[in-house]
Amino acid sequence: MTGVAIEAPPGRLTAAGRHPRAVVAGQVSRRAARSGGLWGLIFGLYIAAQTLAYTSAYKTQAARDELLRAFGTNIGLNALIGPARAINTVAGYASWRLLGILSLLGALWGLLLATRLMRGDEEAGRYELLLAGQTTRRRATGQALAGLGTGLVALFVLTAAGTVLTGQASSVRFSMGQSLYFSVTMVAGAATFLAIGALASQLANTRRRAASMAGVVFGVAYALRMVADSDPGLHWMVWLSPLGWIEESRPLVGPRPMALLPVLVLVILLTALTLHLAGIRDLGSATLAGRDTSDAHLGLLGNPVGLTVRLMRPVALGWLFAIAAFSVLIGSVANSSTRDATGSNAIEQALARLGGHGSLVAAYLGLTFLILALMIALVAAGQITATRTEEAEGRLEVLVVRPLSRTTWFAGRLGLSALLLTIAGALAGIGAWVGAGNQHSGVGFGSLLAAGVNIVPPSLFLLGLGALVIGAWPRRTTTVVYGYLAWSFLIEFIGAVVHANHWLLDTSVFFHMAPAPATSPDWASAALITGLGLAGAVVGGIFLNRRDVLGA
Amino acid sequence: MDTPAIRTEGLTKRYGDQDALSGLDLEIAEGEVVGYLGPNGAGKTTTIRLLLGLARPTSGRAEIFGLDCQRRTVEAHRRLAYVPGEANLWPSLTGEETLHLLGRVQGRVDTSYRAELIGRFDLDASKKVRAYSKGNRQKVLLIAALMTRPDLLLLDEPTSGLDPLMEQAFRRSVQEARDRGQTVFLSSHILSEVEALCDRVGILREGRLVEMGTLEEMRHLSTVSVEAVFDATPPDLAGVVGVKRAVVDGRHLQLEVQGSIEPLVDALGGTGVRELLSREPSLEELFLAHYGPDGAAPVPAGTSAGDGDRR
Repeated sequence: MTGVAIEAPPGRLTAAGRHPRAVVAGQVSRRAARSGGLWGLIFGLYIAAQTLAYTSAYKTQAARDELLRAFGTNIGLNALIGPARAINTVAGYASWRLLGILSLLGALWGLLLATRLMRGDEEAGRYELLLAGQTTRRRATGQALAGLGTGLVALFVLTAAGTVLTGQASSVRFSMGQSLYFSVTMVAGAATFLAIGALASQLANTRRRAASMAGVVFGVAYALRMVADSDPGLHWMVWLSPLGWIEESRPLVGPRPMALLPVLVLVILLTALTLHLAGIRDLGSATLAGRDTSDAHLGLLGNPVGLTVRLMRPVALGWLFAIAAFSVLIGSVANSSTRDATGSNAIEQALARLGGHGSLVAAYLGLTFLILALMIALVAAGQITATRTEEAEGRLEVLVVRPLSRTTWFAGRLGLSALLLTIAGALAGIGAWVGAGNQHSGVGFGSLLAAGVNIVPPSLFLLGLGALVIGAWPRRTTTVVYGYLAWSFLIEFIGAVVHANHWLLDTSVFFHMAPAPATSPDWASAALITGLGLAGAVVGGIFLNRRDVLGA
Repeated sequence: MDTPAIRTEGLTKRYGDQDALSGLDLEIAEGEVVGYLGPNGAGKTTTIRLLLGLARPTSGRAEIFGLDCQRRTVEAHRRLAYVPGEANLWPSLTGEETLHLLGRVQGRVDTSYRAELIGRFDLDASKKVRAYSKGNRQKVLLIAALMTRPDLLLLDEPTSGLDPLMEQAFRRSVQEARDRGQTVFLSSHILSEVEALCDRVGILREGRLVEMGTLEEMRHLSTVSVEAVFDATPPDLAGVVGVKRAVVDGRHLQLEVQGSIEPLVDALGGTGVRELLSREPSLEELFLAHYGPDGAAPVPAGTSAGDGDRR
């Protein structure tokens, strides 16, 4: 045998880890588990806080029966978070309030996490490196799905821990079986939308597009469930929405586990479809690929503001459409939602306690506008993270190495975002008026438009807060903005029913927003939080100008 | 005296307790083409980011055409164009849209030169950025910088990702810029590129400028590699003035000579030398000499493809 003699043998190759074929699973699992753990902790604490707050606020059966009379009929909150059944018991209340809110938050968490870890990583080119290792496209996708599963398990474990521990309290008393089934239902929304996000990551070629696609599915599912819960005649529609199936699982009060079967089937089908699509497409491409070439459209590309309009246009139009559609919907169901409740003193008292007065339709709209306020705040959070992403991904640099100051760029972006939020608010008011218009609801155009404008200041505050964080603590922008938004929302819902510490309630920006049109807008308070937002933006701009331009 | 295109005084940047750049004093005259060398992490990109005002110096100052880089950033940017080593652009825009936008933000474009550059770099400008390879994205930024005919071109490893044909197109464009009197500051790892284009070269090591001058000056200060073949055993030349190292291999002798080789030539008279080869160090050797294990390693003989001449 002939060969070339090797003078010095190379160093021995040793294993660099025990499972070289499962690198993707490990990567995704770690990040998903961290996120799932954090949100599981928030869920667990929220479960404990809400349940114990109920038992301390409504100590006597009489007080709980009063609550049932107020909320048990078909009014706004029921449309928003599902029908209130047996809320004169701690089990009924927990089932209604916690399932209604946490399944929605879980769904949003799932769709954002799945699109970030799947399409986001692929878009950033990180998959390419990993796929050069001992794996294939389909296997890597399988591993990523398994990683998302780990995140779901982390969410479930901490949610279940919160539920089981709360259930041990003498004033609560949930059995272990009840607690575990309840926890499964609370994370079912997350499981469904993790799967929907994973599929959208195969269909769309950018993270943003995938998240928007999954967001539209969420919006439609929520709207269908809301319509189903707003009118007994339409209750059959609950079966058209995955969120409706979760509602029908009815944990703690007359459980119907079979209602979760479609959730399971849907998750399995979506997972299989995701794996199939991943196997038949090229890495970096998408099933619904856009075109690679295009005629030049130079109209908006004369300056950075025009560029921002061009970049934000698809997402902004999507949100404006969603907000308009949602507000028309709540406007049109306002009458039927409050029909059964008219004349009930108990309801009026309960609404008064929430700060509402005037007609029931107005009170209902006051509550539902809170959801619109949250949607607009989500737009603000998205605008802020998109602004920071321009810097983190090096595109800001391409502009500011030319004769353009960072201040001009930043002011242009924030100004456009503020304009978008104002348009969204006005659209919400107009949409609700259009929806309610032909029903003689007694709420006029002026007060609904004012109610729409009234929900803008919290999002302007969030925009200013985000601008401040971009300036002072840029790499934590997303965490701070979404974290504060989630916090505000949870605090607002705790505060709506239970008397909580005023200082705690004050930390929620939504708490400073009057529930218009149930009450007249508090313009002084609105001006104050807008002013704080503006101050945040100015200080953020100064910090941005004085620090280094920073990558991710 | 004319205002220099670039001037820095004691320019320093620290990240935590690490000096990315320390006490840089640099002066580059208008119309010069200057190469800026150093291994990864030596401070090349930090220097350029400080010149652009993208980072703030810990101490010291920098000026572009007499304009303070921190306080009069926008005015300074009117006179320069920058090409980074990594092209981060908007994926949804086409090449043409990107060039249009960047031209408008710069405020001036030579449209006929832009068309020429698009042809020279063979760029399909109708494609979206997301469909471009790394090299094609780099071309977009090169064209965007060159088409504005700036007074100063700041280039930070501008040819990363370009194929050899495009590398030639790049060299041609820089030579055109030089011919027009534009100043070029070129940070690069491609030493042959720097050797071919630059009037002066600066070498950075761990945040400090360890060498700055023309290639001729640097060669003069460096060692010359000399190889000689003798009829019989070579004589002992280790004591000759300027000889730093002598290695005998049979009838072959390898020498390293600092400064003039005249004493060596004199000493070789009557020693039976049959063949004599002397080589000036290439830029690669000069560069590597600064990065040997002790920071000033001797030039390894015969390691480069530098031009030799027989005497």
